[in-house]
Amino acid sequence: MRAEGVDLVFGYPGGAIMPLYDALEGSGVRHVLTRHEQGAVFAAEGYARVTGKVGVAMATSGPGATNLVTGIADAKMDSVPLVCITGQVRSAMIGTDAFQETDVFGVTLSLTKWSRLVRTIDEIPEIIAEGFHWARSGRPGPVVIDIPTDILKAKKEFSGPVNFKPHVRPADARADGAFSDTIVALLQRAMRPVALVGAGAKLSGAVPELRKLLDHLNIPTFATVHGLGAVPAESPYYLGMVGMHGTRAANTALHETDLLLVFGARLDDRVTGDPTRFAPHAKIVHFEIDPAQLDRVRACELPVIGNLADTIPAFCSELQHASLPDWDAWRSIACGSERAELDSHARAQPTKRFLDELFSRLPEDNVVIADVGQHQMWAAQRYRSSSPRGFITSGGLGAMGFALPAAVGVQLAKPQTCVLCVSGDGGFQMNIQELATVHRLGLPIKMVIVDNKYLGMVRQWQQLFYERNYAETDLSDNPDFVEIAKAYKIHGFRLNEVAMEDFPVSAETADLMDNFLRSPEPELLVFDCHPEANVYPMVPAGAALSEMVFEDK
Amino acid sequence: MQVFYIRYRNSQGALMRILNAVSRRGLDLTTVHAEYAGQDHIVTMLLEVTQKQIGQLYREWYAIVDVTEVRSTAARGHEEAAWTAHRPASESVAQQSARAALA
Repeated sequence: MRAEGVDLVFGYPGGAIMPLYDALEGSGVRHVLTRHEQGAVFAAEGYARVTGKVGVAMATSGPGATNLVTGIADAKMDSVPLVCITGQVRSAMIGTDAFQETDVFGVTLSLTKWSRLVRTIDEIPEIIAEGFHWARSGRPGPVVIDIPTDILKAKKEFSGPVNFKPHVRPADARADGAFSDTIVALLQRAMRPVALVGAGAKLSGAVPELRKLLDHLNIPTFATVHGLGAVPAESPYYLGMVGMHGTRAANTALHETDLLLVFGARLDDRVTGDPTRFAPHAKIVHFEIDPAQLDRVRACELPVIGNLADTIPAFCSELQHASLPDWDAWRSIACGSERAELDSHARAQPTKRFLDELFSRLPEDNVVIADVGQHQMWAAQRYRSSSPRGFITSGGLGAMGFALPAAVGVQLAKPQTCVLCVSGDGGFQMNIQELATVHRLGLPIKMVIVDNKYLGMVRQWQQLFYERNYAETDLSDNPDFVEIAKAYKIHGFRLNEVAMEDFPVSAETADLMDNFLRSPEPELLVFDCHPEANVYPMVPAGAALSEMVFEDK
Repeated sequence: MQVFYIRYRNSQGALMRILNAVSRRGLDLTTVHAEYAGQDHIVTMLLEVTQKQIGQLYREWYAIVDVTEVRSTAARGHEEAAWTAHRPASESVAQQSARAALA
């Protein structure tokens, strides 16, 4: 692992993995003990998402390994480079239902990009090299390496890193450059072109080239939740987030466009709404590294397969010689004040204002990690940074409990960065045990719980689509989070949404928030949110993007 | 019915990943036959699929690290299947789609 550049791993020890833990001391690899294997894998994901390096998690056989599964699925959905090392029962015991034996290879087969059950000690160098290669190459993803404990105990002189040479794959084929003049021709015919930016733009490292391209095109542009930060929020053509809880302007422009340029986005159902009515008038040009992502919900006219770091510059150079139509009128409509967000006086307004106040006070060097639920969408809607890796969340899988352990990984990767972890009261309790990790390591993570005493997003759907039958979403008997933090020796305090009624906020509230963000210690802020605050705009499931709902009926 | 021929490196789990792309869609595997073929292996499958599923399966199989080639024919004949769009083989991706886009 050292040969692969690994200096930090996250994990939790147990029987079958003990020989590996025994070898950690003096190895040059730092191990961070979390308090649950799911915490370890989410922390490794946080580390990987913020650095672009491979995150590494390790766990023992059986329950240790199965506790990694949610994180592995998360990494698959969000294209996170991740290697999980799991201990396995002795080779001779495999298949006997031995104590803490699970077929981890089989369990994770459909969730991993690549996996191996190690059979001899001689295989280990090559398997490690190949595993790291697949984790970080092409569309990044998770890898599992399952090692029986007898092989972990065996000793052999390390003969040096293996220079793994991958076989040629058809999926490695690249567009040959002929695409550029075709896109130019499509642009020259387009009346209402738009651009959609996804995570692929960041993962490929193509953000500088993409920004130059978008500045040149100057067409209405929006981002998926994982594309946030790739385009500076202050760009005059930028319309914010698109999709189920996207902005009115972004969703409307996407519905009206006649030419959609997609840069590294999967076009999943949260982005498209009803796929049969997604961008109904548009031809689609799809820049994408992974051919498996093309045409999944809607056929594209022109796929541009390859790393965006190669294909965008190729397109840019062709554009330099082309004359493009004047889209001023279209841009004025799409980006105009007529389509600005409605000035809602709804119940969510204090929470949105709270997030605005918090984000505006963040130092320039910051990373925001959002958990999953209403607070995640509010945070995504209010996020205004232009840092490509500045907003991290579990987008594809939507795994509650992600944020706190992921923040551990982010803070360890970026010790000088202000790391703000925004959770809901439901999700925070799913990995609340990682407060112990935060305390032990003295990580100055700033933790926010948006506490509405409900599983808010589920409750919102119950309100809108299940006649307010709030079945099993009431969390009004939540524990006292401030007291829980205190038990972990972490300072915490509450802020009521009434504090957001003053314009500007009172000096006392301002100081409270500033001190919270500037503290060199971990801090917890519990914000009391209205129990029935809802996230709007909202595109109901199965509806077209143009069928947004803006407020409670 | 459609017959699929998938060439793959016979490494751990490769065949299971190929089959999983079928089972996750709830498709019935009528016939499966896997065998050694030169340096690789080939699995042949008979499936009742829609045109859309053919495209999905092609792309998902090509995304498997150890898959090197995917082909299919209609079960009743030996002609190549109609599905050709966006096959991630290099040669035709840009030109074919470009023509379609400008049509």
